[in-house]
Amino acid sequence: MSWLTHTLNGLAYGSLLFLVASGLTITFGLMRTVNLAHGAFYLLGGYLAYDLASRGTDYWLAMVIGVVGAAVAGMAAQRLLLHRLTGQELPQIVLTLGVALVIGDQILAHYGGDPISPPTPPGLTGPVELGALVFPKFRLVLIGIALGLALLVSALLRYTPIGAKVRAAVDDQEMARSVGIRVPLIFLLVFGLGTGLAAFAGVWGGAFTSLSPDSGFEVLLLALVVVVVGGLGSIPGAYVAALAVGLVEEFGRVLFPGWAMFTLYASVALVLALRPQGLLGKAAPR
Amino acid sequence: MKGRILAVVVAAVLLLAVPVVLDSFSVFVASRILILGLFATAYNVVFGYGGMPSLGHAAFFGIGGYTVGIAITRWAWPMALTMPVALVLGAVAGAVFGLFCLRVRGVYLLLITLALSQAVFGLAFYQTELTGGDNGIPGIPRDGVPTGGGFYLLALAVTAVCVSALWAFQRSPAGMTILGMRESESRMSATGYQVNTIRVMAFAVSGAFSAVAGALEVYLQGSVSTASLSWQISAEVLVFAILGGARRFLGPFLGAAIVTGLEVWVSTYTDRWTTALGVVYILTALFLTDGVLGRLRRLRRGTSPPAEQAPDEPVIVEVRK
Repeated sequence: MSWLTHTLNGLAYGSLLFLVASGLTITFGLMRTVNLAHGAFYLLGGYLAYDLASRGTDYWLAMVIGVVGAAVAGMAAQRLLLHRLTGQELPQIVLTLGVALVIGDQILAHYGGDPISPPTPPGLTGPVELGALVFPKFRLVLIGIALGLALLVSALLRYTPIGAKVRAAVDDQEMARSVGIRVPLIFLLVFGLGTGLAAFAGVWGGAFTSLSPDSGFEVLLLALVVVVVGGLGSIPGAYVAALAVGLVEEFGRVLFPGWAMFTLYASVALVLALRPQGLLGKAAPR
Repeated sequence: MKGRILAVVVAAVLLLAVPVVLDSFSVFVASRILILGLFATAYNVVFGYGGMPSLGHAAFFGIGGYTVGIAITRWAWPMALTMPVALVLGAVAGAVFGLFCLRVRGVYLLLITLALSQAVFGLAFYQTELTGGDNGIPGIPRDGVPTGGGFYLLALAVTAVCVSALWAFQRSPAGMTILGMRESESRMSATGYQVNTIRVMAFAVSGAFSAVAGALEVYLQGSVSTASLSWQISAEVLVFAILGGARRFLGPFLGAAIVTGLEVWVSTYTDRWTTALGVVYILTALFLTDGVLGRLRRLRRGTSPPAEQAPDEPVIVEVRK
């Protein structure tokens, strides 16, 4: 294992983290809805796609159904539960933790506690040879997908009318309403987009590592770290933070195996203690 | 005042009667309620009382537990030594957490405490020589420590002492500064109080007694594992406090009793306790943000806004932003 391979591994893992964090950047970072069930929707998408694919459904179709299914579930949760708690952070936290527990436990009941290993997407198996470097094709593609997604979501928020409406709804709800923006609908759709992205990450994350009913929270935590360290609501910030966390995680594991997690979370706590607005965040929160 | 003394006497008699009246399983459950109730009361120093939503208190609970596990299996320390050491280590850990939280509020505080407790979890998970890693430390001998009803009485004594200490602390001048800080930080610092010191103190006191609860839990269970450090524990104690009523001193204790009792009851019917717990979280968030005690008080007074409090009670306002 060369340093280059480790770097690429770190970048690939970071890219996966960005996939997870992209949805959370939108729901939590931008819309300020604390969604601690994000990891559960990641699991939901991953397990749904895995279940369908293992019953013979076409891989890509299974992925789409997994993503759409989780997005619909997310919108239902937003509409029926979370919607009532707009602006109330603490109840949101308790509620979404409850949703996460229910989804995690139901997955445990249906699929058992052993980790599952969803297949690598067809066409992306095997290695790529770049000169002396041999690297899994899947991971390389993942790095590309994350970069593409980062650009796409940034552009969506920045240059499209929908993005402008979202930003308006976040900045000043009352004003947005009075100029005819349907804020509740926007919130609902954005939440669906966020959970859909989580599910998309779950499908790819399953193929990257594996899925188990407890892995949802681990993923959520890393995504929270990425979103907050990057600066709330900042897609470029989240992208940079995700790659940084991926690299720290990979090299931390190689260099100080007994201190994995400790090094990561202690440094994250330190970053937040010193710079609560995150690396690329603008003003201090509140 | 007379009514209050009577209530305390009746409660004491009922609590002391538990091991005589109930079967051994119920006594075990009662011991667990005492321990988790103490944990929730200690947690509330930071949460309801201090207005700082922590999602990392499992760290203190687990540190108390691992102190007992490691000290007994390595050096065969007696309980009289492990408990004070757990208290001190919990206080130190609490102070460290407090230092990290000096500049952050609300969700950020929650995330920092969560990250810190995950760091502690990581230590326990990967430093396998000291902690046994994922397996934890099973089969901890409890020489000289009674079991069953005897342990219940011991836990009752420890809990009574600790809860009384917390009560006294919260009403002491030092404790009142925490309340003042929560109500208006700027006014407190303008009056000359060191707000940073107050925050660190709140965390240290809370961490110390949370660790005592964690230590007791290990004596009850006879083992300690990374489960005691997991985020679920932090989330549960948060829910205990909200469900029971974070604005009242005994609210969190009541919340711990309700959830623990519910767990026993639900578990006799189904294995899906976690799902039921999730539903409890959801219902708490939707309908009980001022807790059972807050709700009862409102019903009794027939008023809707929880504005007014009895003057002799520490007023703990809504923690939500």
